[in-house]
Amino acid sequence: MEDLYILIGSAVAVALMVAVAAWARIARPIAALDPDSARTLLAAEFPDHAPTRTWIAADGAGLIARAGDQALVLYRLGDSWVARTLRWEDALKAPVRAGKVCLKLRDPAAPVAKLAVSGVNPWPPETNDEAIAA
Amino acid sequence: MTLDPIKPAFDPVTWAIPMFVVTIVLEIVLGRLGKAKATYEAKDTATSLAMGLGSTIVGGFTAAAIAGVSIWVWQNHRILEVPMTAWWAWVAVFFLEDLTYYWFHRIAHERRFWWASHVNHHSSQHYNLATALRQTWTGGVAGTWLLWLPLALIGFPPAMIAIQKGISLVYQYWVHTEAINKLPRWFEAVMNTPSHHRVHHARNPRYLDANYAGILIIWDRLFGTFIPEDEKEPPRYGLVHNLGDFNLLRVAFHEWMGIGKDLAGSRSIREVVGYLFGPPGWSPDGSRDTSASLKAKWRARESAKVAGAPEQIAAE
Repeated sequence: MEDLYILIGSAVAVALMVAVAAWARIARPIAALDPDSARTLLAAEFPDHAPTRTWIAADGAGLIARAGDQALVLYRLGDSWVARTLRWEDALKAPVRAGKVCLKLRDPAAPVAKLAVSGVNPWPPETNDEAIAA
Repeated sequence: MTLDPIKPAFDPVTWAIPMFVVTIVLEIVLGRLGKAKATYEAKDTATSLAMGLGSTIVGGFTAAAIAGVSIWVWQNHRILEVPMTAWWAWVAVFFLEDLTYYWFHRIAHERRFWWASHVNHHSSQHYNLATALRQTWTGGVAGTWLLWLPLALIGFPPAMIAIQKGISLVYQYWVHTEAINKLPRWFEAVMNTPSHHRVHHARNPRYLDANYAGILIIWDRLFGTFIPEDEKEPPRYGLVHNLGDFNLLRVAFHEWMGIGKDLAGSRSIREVVGYLFGPPGWSPDGSRDTSASLKAKWRARESAKVAGAPEQIAAE
């Protein structure tokens, strides 16, 4: 019975601590990506890659960059970032659903990335740049 | 005075729960007031604390069996009689338990089967007191508790080992903070500290696989795994490949799922053994990164920078 009381007390305490954390608003400041911040983030997360072109999600909460035959994918989670790679060809073929390009990452730790697409910022990018062409 | 050698007189972790709550709230409030370095993201905090609560619940299912094995070894196979009331016995168990923890922790990072259980503790991209409570749900299954059996075999009573394990866990709680920078040099030399443990939680290649200490950092210095925190390179926390969401089941089981997926695609015994007991990131063709390969790439980049520096100066 004592263990049950400890468990219930702990659950109440967890709710309290989460509420205090939400109230405090002390998450890291995180702005929408722009070309400069995208470059900085790519350099930090993919130091051994040389991205040639970068597509930034419509809401600035993610990006897809091309580095050779690989797509470098970054997307926001809370106040942090998640990074993965996949084949560029697969990224180009990724479907757009409900205004988001859905990239299958084939990783149980991060199975899918969903990045916002808009009319002026479509996926795949409309460009003649041969770097984009598959 | 007599102490029960089987049933611990107290559980340090249970006793510490109120302290956990008060200090987490305090860290958040001090962070809010700008009086201490602390960042908390609500969903990340909820995940860490829910993992801690879940760990207590899940651990309850295996605790009796694990304690039973320890008691059986001590009752039937102990080599020495270690009295619980002797001061020297507590000193001895302090050092031996801490040494055991060092090797448990090292194996839990350097071999994938045990990393699968421990990885969730490192899955937050934040480093705060709540992160300390992001504990495993699969420790009992992973079997790392076996490493503590030699203490019972030597003759340390199970209750004594359990109390010392609890003391170690409580000690390790407070080092999960950015609010404390560096402590006096003598303390940093001997003890595990927030600075040393920040390095341990960092995903920067230079900091990988370092500072496994529980209470004493001397083991890392002794076995060559100590890396000091360099103020010029602040730690970036989390995993080499961070989790894609805050789903608790993913936090708890993603590496086990990854192992299952790899084993399903294995083509030889070598691959099975490599995927299970190789370093995290091991792959038959070396196409994935391990800590060692990430460090090698980092060293190569650093060397290239050094080699490029004189040319840059000349060009300027």
